[in-house]
Amino acid sequence: MSQPPPRASGDAALAGRGPGVALRGSGAVHQGPGDLTLTSIVLFTLGAYGVAAGAATGQQAVVAVGVFAFTLFGVGIVWPILSLARLSVSAVAPTDATVGDALELRIEIRGRAARLDVRALDPSGTWWRTSAPTDGHLPHTAARRGEFRSVRVQLRTSAPLGVFVRTRTVRVRLPAPIVVAPRPSVAAAVLYPVPDEMFSVGSPLVMNGGGDTVRAVRPYAPGDPARLVHWPTSARRGEIVVREHEPPPALGVALVVDLRGSAPEAAASRAAGIGTATLAAGGVVWCGTCEDGTSVGEMVADARDLGRRLARAAPGFPAAPPDGWPVEEVQA
Amino acid sequence: MSLRGDAFRSVDTAPRVRRVAPAYRVVSVPAAIALGSVGGIAAERSHLPWIVGALAGVVAAVLGVLALPSIPTRRATVVLLGLGGLIALRHASYAGVDRSWLLVIWAAGTMLTLVLVDRADAEVAPVLEGGSSLPNRLTETARVGALISLVVVVTAVALVPTVTNRLGRHVWPGLQPTIGDRADATSSLLSGDQLSLTSRPRLSNSVVLTVDAAHPDFWRGETFNVYSSTDSAWTNSLGDDPVPDDSVTRVGTRIDIAPEVYNRSARDGKEFRQTFHVETTYSNVVFAAPSARAVETDKQVIRKPDGTLRVAGADIYRGLDGSDSGFGKGAVYTVTSRSLPVTEVALRAPAAVATPPQITQSYLSVNDGTTTPRVRELAQQIAAGATNRFDKVRAFESWLGANTQYSLNAPLSPSGVDVVDDFLFHTRVGWCEQIASSLVMMARAAGIPARLVTGFVPGSRDSLTGRFLVRERDAHAWTEVYFPGIGWQGFDPTASVPLAGDAHAGGSWLSDARRNAVPLAITISLVILLAVASPEIVAVLRRRRARRASWSASALHRLERAGRKAGRARDPAETPREYALALGQRLGDDRLARVGDTLDADLYSANGAPETDRADADSVLTSLRP
Repeated sequence: MSQPPPRASGDAALAGRGPGVALRGSGAVHQGPGDLTLTSIVLFTLGAYGVAAGAATGQQAVVAVGVFAFTLFGVGIVWPILSLARLSVSAVAPTDATVGDALELRIEIRGRAARLDVRALDPSGTWWRTSAPTDGHLPHTAARRGEFRSVRVQLRTSAPLGVFVRTRTVRVRLPAPIVVAPRPSVAAAVLYPVPDEMFSVGSPLVMNGGGDTVRAVRPYAPGDPARLVHWPTSARRGEIVVREHEPPPALGVALVVDLRGSAPEAAASRAAGIGTATLAAGGVVWCGTCEDGTSVGEMVADARDLGRRLARAAPGFPAAPPDGWPVEEVQA
Repeated sequence: MSLRGDAFRSVDTAPRVRRVAPAYRVVSVPAAIALGSVGGIAAERSHLPWIVGALAGVVAAVLGVLALPSIPTRRATVVLLGLGGLIALRHASYAGVDRSWLLVIWAAGTMLTLVLVDRADAEVAPVLEGGSSLPNRLTETARVGALISLVVVVTAVALVPTVTNRLGRHVWPGLQPTIGDRADATSSLLSGDQLSLTSRPRLSNSVVLTVDAAHPDFWRGETFNVYSSTDSAWTNSLGDDPVPDDSVTRVGTRIDIAPEVYNRSARDGKEFRQTFHVETTYSNVVFAAPSARAVETDKQVIRKPDGTLRVAGADIYRGLDGSDSGFGKGAVYTVTSRSLPVTEVALRAPAAVATPPQITQSYLSVNDGTTTPRVRELAQQIAAGATNRFDKVRAFESWLGANTQYSLNAPLSPSGVDVVDDFLFHTRVGWCEQIASSLVMMARAAGIPARLVTGFVPGSRDSLTGRFLVRERDAHAWTEVYFPGIGWQGFDPTASVPLAGDAHAGGSWLSDARRNAVPLAITISLVILLAVASPEIVAVLRRRRARRASWSASALHRLERAGRKAGRARDPAETPREYALALGQRLGDDRLARVGDTLDADLYSANGAPETDRADADSVLTSLRP
């Protein structure tokens, strides 16, 4: 998967907003046009020897054998090249993932090829055989954090003679980007009281009721829990009234994620771990990062939102935390 | 209970033998065809029955593909094909007889092997989930094979003549022959001053020359004009010395030959090139279609007075190294001849000019008195009704055709007896030398100048290379008759002579042995093949028997087969249940987990799986069939 333009990690297609480390993979990525096989060496040798010997002695049958071998050699090279040149690939990926997750890319290969191997790159995965046209599910591993708008798919064939293994790498634009969040490391929730002004009434972040301080009483309304009935006042007033509590103080943390350092991926994972644990414990999280050279600081709605924020995070100045918030600074 | 025990053994404790994937087993078929055909070619070259080499090739291919556990099948196959290609190159030029079809089969087999081995490699990779499956193996192989064959044929047709003509040499020195080579050479290839009719020629099946020529012709070697009835031998009174004038002019490797006197074809005929490749160890005769006007060679060539050519100095001991100056093996020379199309009408027409006295002297009156009276009488009697030379010669040919027979096993004439007389009046069975000599003597008896010519018939044309394969048994003798104003015209009386009844009878012990060698070789090869393949056959039979014996073994086999087709072969350490589960996950088919449970129950429970479960499992396995 790739996020153009790749920045921190050079030409690596899976580079996100910071250098990442492939978690899994098999084999090196083939960058050349292909490989000649033992068959090609045998055929070329036979062809060269046959043509040379036949031409030297004028023996047509020897020339014929040489030409036959050379023809197989030529066909064996040209055929795979033409086969792959005519193929086009499109792919659809899930929109969210976490580093290390196994995904399935839905790929569609158009064109005609009788035999074909296909695999996803970054990291290079297992080869899967098929023939084109085809439409299938290509297993892949989300190896690096980032937001990716394309994937790299490698096609390979040596059909029909096995003379030349033609490999073609195709960068496929995804209709919707895939956001790979860092895998949260194990961390404890950080829950400190945070200023209320950050929350407006009705915000899902505000816990409606449930605090210890009674604000007032009001007449019972259907649906109010019985435990809130204030019996002395009800007896006094002759109608049932219930207590209305002040909301409890919000707990949470402001995560300041600074990926300028030697281990940005570890930092992102740590931040994800803290944020996820805090959210799971009912806290609120504010996250300050740097995206595309711009400092970004916003409240996080949920774990998915946090993952997306951290996926986009890149080395740079993170946004400053809001006043009064407890800060957890995560340094790369 | 014993049924359960058998099933258990068949699944888990059967001896594990090295298994070649089915896709690779198929490879062994075209590989066997390729190596078998190339083995056949090699055997022919080695003077063995081709079937022996073919079987050796088949055995090598089958062993190489199926029985080399330490080498990847693809590598073993490619190496075998490479070796086969080298053998094909080594023996491609000729194989004693025309075995071009074996070369074509080798090419087809090689191509199909490459296609199938690549396909087998492709089948090893797991299948893309939801993706298209590979096309049917047979269909794909046939389609690809046809397409590549077309490309190969077009390329070969376009390139082979170009490569051969543009790059190919028309002159090549070949190996330097030794005195020993000369001593071993057959008489047909040696320039000599005498041709005896009292010895039987040695005519093996070996190829001695191959000739590139646009059309077939008689490859003329030497002529003889004097027949000795006492010795029954032909000699050339004109001698073997070069013509003492500027009849031979060399420019580089090209030697221009002055036209033979009184031969209009040599002066005015249409040019016709032939390139001779010497395939035997020695020859000092420069063969050529009549009438040679130029020779391209690195040797010194002499034009003899009768117009034939030979290598100069070939009859002289050449030095301390024991070498001789004739053509050695691999030598190539090219001859340009001129030939004038002549019609029967022209040959029958009255001659506008008289026969030159030199011709009469050398080819007519030279044998005055040597022909027996009854031969002369017979000739005059046969020619009585004919009014011109052509009709007279035709009449002699017809008589020979009607009254004599051809046989290489004809009895040799007793010593001191005129062979021609003996042939015409006693045996009436002979080979080309007797028949052509008789025509010469009868023609001369009728007043027609004639001479005996030796050389080779065109030979069979190699269907692949288009080259004429001239074998030792193609050595021939025929007659040339002089027509005033036209020149020498060849007649082959042997062509009209029928074969004698015993022409194919008899034969040496060697030929008998060869005839018997074929079935013997087949038997031996089959025994070897059976011995080699027997472990695999036994294993297959055991597996089949086990499958028949128990439901679980059969079901597991079907499950494994379905898994292999889906690109998920069973790991040796996997239990049937684990395998079924894994395959179910791969195929997204939950029913396979139940199949695994049923298999386990059938294999390991005391009473086996219930019939209903078995039926369910069977239906699931049947639905997996593609």
